[in-house]
Amino acid sequence: MDLLRKLSAYIDDELPSDICREIRQHLGACPNCEVFIASLQHTVTLCRHRPTPQLTSVDRMNMRHAILDAANAR
Amino acid sequence: MRTPAPKTPLQRPAVQEPEGFDTLYRDNVDLIYRYAYRLCGEAELAKDLVQETFLNAYQGLKDFRGEARVSTWLYTIASRASIRMRRKRKGEPEYKLSLEEFVPTSEGEFRLQIPMDGLSPEEALQNKELRQALDQAIEKLPQKYRMALVLRDMEGLSAKEVGTIMGLNERAVKSRLHRARLFVRRELSARGISHHDDHKSGGLHS
Repeated sequence: MDLLRKLSAYIDDELPSDICREIRQHLGACPNCEVFIASLQHTVTLCRHRPTPQLTSVDRMNMRHAILDAANAR
Repeated sequence: MRTPAPKTPLQRPAVQEPEGFDTLYRDNVDLIYRYAYRLCGEAELAKDLVQETFLNAYQGLKDFRGEARVSTWLYTIASRASIRMRRKRKGEPEYKLSLEEFVPTSEGEFRLQIPMDGLSPEEALQNKELRQALDQAIEKLPQKYRMALVLRDMEGLSAKEVGTIMGLNERAVKSRLHRARLFVRRELSARGISHHDDHKSGGLHS
């Protein structure tokens, strides 16, 4: 549970080195945790590479008109 | 002869109208759309959020003194608008995530793996099932956790900047982020996504 609490900080490299070392030692001895951490790391990586669609120039233009119309209406 | 509006840094009141708004819009609409889409998960909702954001920005321009970066300012407006818009739409009540619920209780839960073996993230995301599972997992997250995840892990902002945008201290940001990541991990693992890539699915941007 304590390890669970620290995992994000661990994969983000935000933990002090002595704690990192402790965790790595634990990981060396505990394949379950190693798998768990790897899957968490993969999750973050997937999020970072998640594709998003682009706006078309028509979209941009239409939205701009709508915004300015609304702004002038108020 | 038009004077081009100052881009950055903004030292004085805003951005002269109307060129200032045009520049602001042109320079930031793609950024805010990407954020909105990542938050809302759907194009029309995202566009609504973009418009709401820039409308608020337009009205706030005269008071903006450049105390924050323009992008931070816009992210903040978009985030607040998103919360307001969600409240109007109702939906499920926001619930809290606790760390306890992510503690693996059986052997199997440690071992639940996302099939990324030897694949780059781009390659892995060619798998439509995985893409959909990821989208659904993020969609399922309560908003305040989703926002932290999107801002930090997708928009790539620092924890400090996320804190500024969300009105939280860094510790709170990291706590939300951590729970969001654990939640998504668990959602992806539980689905037992097929290893068999759909190579016929073609391009990523379908």
